[in-house]
Order: sequence, then structure tokens, then C-alpha cells
Amino acid sequence: MKKILTLDTLYTILAFFGSLIILGVIWELVAIVTDREIPGPASTWVVFKELIAEPFYDRGPNDKGIGNQLFSSIYRVFLGFGIGSLIAIPMGLAMGSSKFMMRLFNPIVQILRPVSPLAWFPLGLLAFQAAEGATVFIIAITSLWPTLINTSFGVASIPADHKNVGKAFGFSTWKYITKIMLPFALPHMITGLRLAIGVAWLVIVAGEMLSGGVGIGFFVWDSWNGLSLEKILIAILIIGTVGLILDKMFSAVQHAFTWENK
Amino acid sequence: MILTETEEVVVKETKTIKEDTRPDAIKIENVTVSFKSKSNGLYTAINNISLNVKKGEIVTLIGHSGCGKSTLMNTISGMVSPTSGEVYANGNLVKGPGPDRGIVFQNYSLLPWLSVFQNIYVAVDSALKDLSASEKKDLVEKNLQMVHLWEHRHKLPGHLSGGMKQRVAIARAFAINPKILLLDEPFGALDALTKGSMHIELLKLWNLDNRDKTIVMVTHDIEEAIFLSDRVVVMNDGPAATIKEIVDVPLDRPRNKKSIVHEAGYMDTHDRLLSLLTDKFDINDID
Repeated sequence: MKKILTLDTLYTILAFFGSLIILGVIWELVAIVTDREIPGPASTWVVFKELIAEPFYDRGPNDKGIGNQLFSSIYRVFLGFGIGSLIAIPMGLAMGSSKFMMRLFNPIVQILRPVSPLAWFPLGLLAFQAAEGATVFIIAITSLWPTLINTSFGVASIPADHKNVGKAFGFSTWKYITKIMLPFALPHMITGLRLAIGVAWLVIVAGEMLSGGVGIGFFVWDSWNGLSLEKILIAILIIGTVGLILDKMFSAVQHAFTWENK
Repeated sequence: MILTETEEVVVKETKTIKEDTRPDAIKIENVTVSFKSKSNGLYTAINNISLNVKKGEIVTLIGHSGCGKSTLMNTISGMVSPTSGEVYANGNLVKGPGPDRGIVFQNYSLLPWLSVFQNIYVAVDSALKDLSASEKKDLVEKNLQMVHLWEHRHKLPGHLSGGMKQRVAIARAFAINPKILLLDEPFGALDALTKGSMHIELLKLWNLDNRDKTIVMVTHDIEEAIFLSDRVVVMNDGPAATIKEIVDVPLDRPRNKKSIVHEAGYMDTHDRLLSLLTDKFDINDID
């Protein structure tokens, strides 16, 4: 059993490097076809080494190191995601536990959910009178839906068996919420949060392109204006990698809180 | 057949004399339960049923699937409210579920995210609010010891076998020390061997408690019904199910599982129940 497992791990690692090589080959081919207008992996690597040599430098508002850009984006994402979740979880619990609340709020959710984050941006600017606030606002409002929908689904699908335990032994409302409702809904809630952080990370780049200032999205736009395509490619790879890490983090949380697997 | 009938009459008479001294723990008076169903309007599950159960008595409800035996029992637990009629438990009108009636559910209904200990503790904590934390813990320990699961107290229900889960469910029901114990097909999902030992466990617990608890159990297992109960309530098929007949079990306690099957009383009761449950179209043939 253990031997098969290590063999499996070996395959996974080999496959991972294989996929990196495929990506590199496609990239190089694209570079060749476009006559090096899109830079290939080699020249991008050179620029990357320069960027990574001093990631946290700060030379005024429009010239900051890649590390600074990245961390300010991550900060905004977590702020917006946190605010969104603080709204989404209680709303989801309320909608899941009461049919009335579900009927009352579901149409609003269904109408607002498909709205593009960029459409919210002017409203955010108006409300907060600042690009920073507007960016956080659009992250919050677009990332709250997956959490809200999954939480309400989780609560609404508590089996009658579990509810009956509460009834039969005279659980108080508080005990029902803490011992039955939340534990049952938690895995669903975390699935929602995992989807939400993915959405938030998607939205940040677009938001920062509009808002300017500092952040990985702004970095992409600034590199475009400076015609440094290498930097854009580096940013794309960093965005992808950070997105993957965020997803893996929430996947680990999800695994830790799923009692079915224990 | 004639011989059986005379025997039964005699037994019934001696029993009534013996039982008169015990008060009624459960009184079901003209209870009808109807549900609104989506397809065909009002569905009457049980119709105008009356039944009294004495304190300390073990009564089983038996019948075909969907005959409303669980519904009838749920009117005692308070999970289902009668459309008309009244149910009294321990002298009080049943208005909803309450900790004076312990329930053991068909599918155990343990909370899968709580350990065995916690599953019982939350029930005790809710039902017996006046006790101190240490008294509650002692109670949980006592009941888990009773069903021999104390060493498994840290396990999650997912790690237990069906029989163990059922013992946890029984320990939970006993822990809140209810006067009435309601068991809804409690051993239905267990294999025959486990089932047999669970029967004995249940009777042991009942004995330990001076045979004070009233037990109502839903089952579709004739042998189980005879071995455990004082009376077997046979129900007609639904919709609008009624009580077909109440059969007394003329066997002294304690009962020995191996030897009672050879007793005449056992065999007669078994035959009687079997014919009640199989010849469902023409009851007059039997009478």
C-alpha cells in the first residue's frame, strides 16, 4: 500500500514538471511565431531576476517593488473578502433556516449575482470617494454570492433526522444553532468561501487596473504603458500562482472541517 | 384454534386483574392524524385510535409498512400532532416533544460531528438543565458504562458499527431518565445476532430501572414483539389505519430467548400474530 502511494506521488511530481515543460514549450512557440513581440521564457526570466532582486523597494507612489504590489493586492482581497463573508454568512444562515427569508431575499440575490464587478466600480467610487474603497467594495460585493448561496443551501438541507434530535431532547435555539445547524452547514460554508476567494482574486486585477495606485493589477497596467511585456507575463504567472496557493489553503481548511472524512 | 382462544381468554383475565393497580402512563383518545399530500389532498394516516398503556408496560406496535404505526407513536412523542383526539403522557396532554419521553430513532440519529460522549452530553445538558456539569458528566458515564461503550466515548459515530450506534442511541434516551421510552423500529437495521443481544440489553436496562419505565416500540418483527412485550398492538393497513387487535403475550418474565420458543403460549401468540398479519383481507376467517 505504501509503495503504491510513493509511486503515485512520484508520478504526480513528474506530471507537474511535465506540465511546466509543456507550458514553457507553448510559450516559446508563441514567442517564435510572434517574432519575439511576445517575449519568450528566457528573456522573461532575466527581467524576473531583476524584479525579484529587490521586491520591496518604494520610490514614490507609482514606482514600487513587485512584492509591495502583490502584498497590497492580497491585503485588499482579504479585506473585501472578509467584509463580503461577514455579510454573506449571516444572510446565508437566515435564508437557509427560514423559507420566508429565502423567498424575500432570493430574488435580490439572483438579480445582483450575475452583475460584473466592473459595473459596480463607479458606484463604489461615488460611495467611498476613493479608488481604494471602491476596489474593496467591488471585491466584497462580487465575492459574497458563492458564500451566501452555499451557506443557505447547507442550512436548508439539514436532514430531518438531525432536526428531530433537537426537538426530541428539547434543544434551545442556541444549542440547535451551535450543535446542529452550524456543524452541518460548515462544510458547505467553507466550499462557498473557497469559491469566493477565487472570485475575489479574479476581481482584484480588474479592479486595480481601473483604480490605479498600487497592486498587482496596477502593475500589469503600468507595465503595459511602459511596454514591458516581460513584466506583464511575470505578473500573469504570479497571479496564477497566488490564486493556486489561496485555493490550496482553503482546500486544506475545507478538508479539516469535513467530519464525513474523519 | 378453539383451544387457543380459550387459553387466550383465561390469560387476558388474569392479566387484567394484575394490571389494574398500575396507573396509565399513556392514554391515546380517539386520535386521527391526517396529512396534506400534494397529489391527492388530505391523507388520513391513522383513524380514531384509542389505546391505553400502563406504567411499566412494554407494548409493541406491529403492522405492515406504511400502516401508520410510526405516526401513532409520534403522536406520543409529540413529533406529530393529532388532527383530532388527544394524547396524554404521564397525565399531561401532549403538546410537543418533551424530555419526559425518550425517543430512540429508527436510524439512530446521532449527530455525526459529535463524539459518542458529546452526543449523550448535549441531550442530557438540554433535558436536565438543573444538574451541575459534573452531575451531567456522571450521568453520561453511567449510561455509557451500562451499554458497554465507555471505552469508545471519544469516537465519532461514523466509526461505530450499527449495533454500537444503536446502543449509543439507547444510552442517550435512558440518560435523560424519561418515564416513557419510545422506540421506532430500533433494531430494524441490525443483523439477527446483534438484534438478539440488543433485546437482552434493552430488557436488562428496563430491569435495572425496576421495570418502572413504560416502553412503546414499533416493529415489524413478530419474534421481537413477543420476546419483549406484554401486549402486541396489531394495526390494520393504512390509509386510515386502525387497531386490528391487541394480543396479550402470556409469558412470564424474565424470559429466556432459547426456551420460550418451545412454550405453548409463545407458539400460540406467534401463530395468532402471523395470521393477523398475513390474512389481511379476511379477518373473519380466523375469528
